[in-house]
Amino acid sequence: MSAAATRPDRSYLLRKLHSLSGIVPVGAFLAEHFWSNSYALVGVAKYNEKSQELQTIPFRVIVEAAVIWLPILYHGGYGVYIWLKGKSNVSDYPWVGNWLYTLQRYTGLVAFAFIGWHVWTERFLTQGKSTYSDVEHALRNPYYLAFYVIGVLASSFHLGVGIWNFLCKWGLAATVQAQRAAGKLGATVGFVFSLVGILIVVSFRLNWHPFGHFVTLK
Amino acid sequence: MGETKKVILRVKRQAGPKHAPRWEEFALNWRPAMNVIICLRDIAENPVTRDGKKTTPVTYESNCLEEVCGSCAMLINGKARMACSALVDSLPQPIRLEPLSKFPVVRDLAVDRSFMFESLKRVKAWIPIDGTYDLGEGPRMAPETQEQAYPLSRCISCGNCLEVCPQVNENNAFVGAAIISQVRLFNMHPTGAMHARERLEALMGPGGIADCANAQNCVKACPKEIPLTESIAEMNRQAWKQALLGWLFG
Repeated sequence: MSAAATRPDRSYLLRKLHSLSGIVPVGAFLAEHFWSNSYALVGVAKYNEKSQELQTIPFRVIVEAAVIWLPILYHGGYGVYIWLKGKSNVSDYPWVGNWLYTLQRYTGLVAFAFIGWHVWTERFLTQGKSTYSDVEHALRNPYYLAFYVIGVLASSFHLGVGIWNFLCKWGLAATVQAQRAAGKLGATVGFVFSLVGILIVVSFRLNWHPFGHFVTLK
Repeated sequence: MGETKKVILRVKRQAGPKHAPRWEEFALNWRPAMNVIICLRDIAENPVTRDGKKTTPVTYESNCLEEVCGSCAMLINGKARMACSALVDSLPQPIRLEPLSKFPVVRDLAVDRSFMFESLKRVKAWIPIDGTYDLGEGPRMAPETQEQAYPLSRCISCGNCLEVCPQVNENNAFVGAAIISQVRLFNMHPTGAMHARERLEALMGPGGIADCANAQNCVKACPKEIPLTESIAEMNRQAWKQALLGWLFG
């Protein structure tokens, strides 16, 4: 075999990159994002302090573009291309894996649309200086509230199924038992992210700060 | 004398690759332990539709009648399965028979599965043992490997795993689970492993392993209970390792 022939096809690399980008950095950023926004559960001042810290990181726009925007655009854009090349048949074969395959496409699209709107309103319209009151204000609108809940659930589901897919598709969970465990892991991640995401939305909506009593400095 | 129990069959027929499909209904006399192949044979003996019109025998492929040759795969009540093991008594009637939808129809229920054969050639699904001189005995195979290999060797290329796969369609050249599993089988063999890299490279080509989207329908539809999803995961790991390490270390 010549060395040149060992180079895999470009579509192979793009597809692998799509799979990887869903976990790192997109999935990892979702985790960071939920974590940072959980500060709403502590209190308004703490939340604003945390946001300010993130909004004043060095190389901000470069980091945002490289770690958040471009990976999400690639993952979403190439994901739609993958969707168009597949042909769901869940009505003929209503098996769990096949349902997840189909739902993964719809939740991906919903999450992508939500993220686009969310970035536009909370990152660009606020000129990168979004505060607690901006989010709180947005969530007073019942349609925005509903869109947030749907966006949180779609993203969490998509990440959960994505973790399962990732572990299977990279052969990290190869045996049937390992794939079953990977499925449980994905389900747990999806559930925890959904729960935390909803709690954050509720916190903003009801000005509810259950972890606030640990704050001693007023 | 009581009326004989009937088996109602609806068959999607097509005179040739370019002809339009049409449906024909048949009413056959029920017999114990009937399977779909027996129904098709009964039609061939007396090719008359339910409303008494004379027609031609239905074209279909079959050979072994015991789920080891792989030729009689078709859609039975909309599901891909082997006609020989589809027992009439376990199927709701009318029993709907259609050709597999992912392969070109030759005639009636017979389809052209040469896509699978071409894919097997592409991934070199064989073990080269011929030389210009006597190559002698090959290396021994550990019993543990034999046990892993045997289930994979049961593949009958029926095409059911391709039929149920959402990634196998006219927009996509995905080779399907059976072929990926065959690569695992041949790469597992001590002599076959001498060409492991070439097979992995073929799998990383267009329509290769990366087109799998993990719907896992294949393993549910496989009549031979081959651990296809394990095979795909295993080959995925071998493939990206080679892609990565090959790039780094040649």
